[in-house]
Amino acid sequence: MKYVAWMTAVFCALLLQGRVTVLGVVPNLAVLIVFYAGMRHGENKGLLTGLLVGFIEDGLSAGMIGPNMLAKGIVGYVAAFFISGGFFRWTPLFGMLSLFVLTLADNTIVVLLKTVFDKPPGGFASIVFISVMQSLLNAPAGAFLRPGHVD
Amino acid sequence: MVRKKALLFFVIIAVFILMTYQSKHGHVGSLPFLNTLLDATQSAVSSVTDSLSRPFRRMALREEENIRLKKRLDGLLLEQGKLQEAVLENKRLKELLKLRENHRNYVAAARVVSRGSGYWDHTFTLDKGTLDGVAKDMTVITPLGLAGKIIRVSDSYATMLWVSDINFSAAVRIQDSRREAVLSGTGSRLCVLKYMPYEEKVKQGDVVMTSGFDSFFPPGIPVGYVSKIDVQGIGGNFQYVEVTPFQDSAKLEEVIIVR
Repeated sequence: MKYVAWMTAVFCALLLQGRVTVLGVVPNLAVLIVFYAGMRHGENKGLLTGLLVGFIEDGLSAGMIGPNMLAKGIVGYVAAFFISGGFFRWTPLFGMLSLFVLTLADNTIVVLLKTVFDKPPGGFASIVFISVMQSLLNAPAGAFLRPGHVD
Repeated sequence: MVRKKALLFFVIIAVFILMTYQSKHGHVGSLPFLNTLLDATQSAVSSVTDSLSRPFRRMALREEENIRLKKRLDGLLLEQGKLQEAVLENKRLKELLKLRENHRNYVAAARVVSRGSGYWDHTFTLDKGTLDGVAKDMTVITPLGLAGKIIRVSDSYATMLWVSDINFSAAVRIQDSRREAVLSGTGSRLCVLKYMPYEEKVKQGDVVMTSGFDSFFPPGIPVGYVSKIDVQGIGGNFQYVEVTPFQDSAKLEEVIIVR
């Protein structure tokens, strides 16, 4: 049942990404799910969830399989490592900042991998604008996505 | 902790190998099933949101169209008003032309420029003066009847004393009975017939016309109709007869000046 709920959440996030734009920028909602999974269930599950979500994203895109897998995997892993691992104490502001940084990191990794292994996904200015916008859009959610030990 | 890091390391290496392979041999397969499922869901969601938003969009469109049509209607009404005004003016001018043709003593056709500035005076300024042949004491008429007389003239303008001004008087006669009388202004919008004896039978609605005996006004110009009679009079030997001019001062626009 739990897995069905997670899959539904992933499906809904991907569905919503295809329908909503803010200033022409599609929000990166999948990273929210990976971030939450990592925060709640630890590094391994965060990593695996990230791999799976990334794999689906790559599969749905016309590009190569891998960039989103690795980027989301790292996001899931790092979310758990930093936030729920006792390295930092979670506060809503810290959650927002983490999500901002991790969304930015996700985009950076994807862009770098695509640039190295395939071709650059766009011009530098547009990549920066999209990445910053997605990070800003995701950041407020960091105040509400709490780690398990805070509850 | 080491196992976790090893797993991450393994994942990174595996993904790198996968991407290196793809960069050399082309992209490996996508997820057609998931793509189809997502596309179908998107389509369903689109149709639902479309059907929900369509009435609002239609309302917004109608509102927009309504505003546009209202603006157009305002413009058309304005245009219609102008056309109506032109038609009425045309009608008035035709009547004036006819009047001009009928009057041998025609001097000029004039347009009323303004009312007199004095609060108690009933005068009008006309746009014709001595340069057009207008002179003091000339008669001013309209297609409906007597309007007044010229009391002051400059080169290009003339001042007309309105028929109901307190200073106005004219020799008149009642059309049916042929009885002569003197018509005087009252300072209001009505005139009175002076020196009408008690024995004279005057009816309401009798038409009053100029008699020409005062040598100012040509005979036969309709002035007004008897609107009120008081046989008791206001004292003295005469009855009180009120006359309402045919021409309403509030509707005066173009006039004919005759000798």
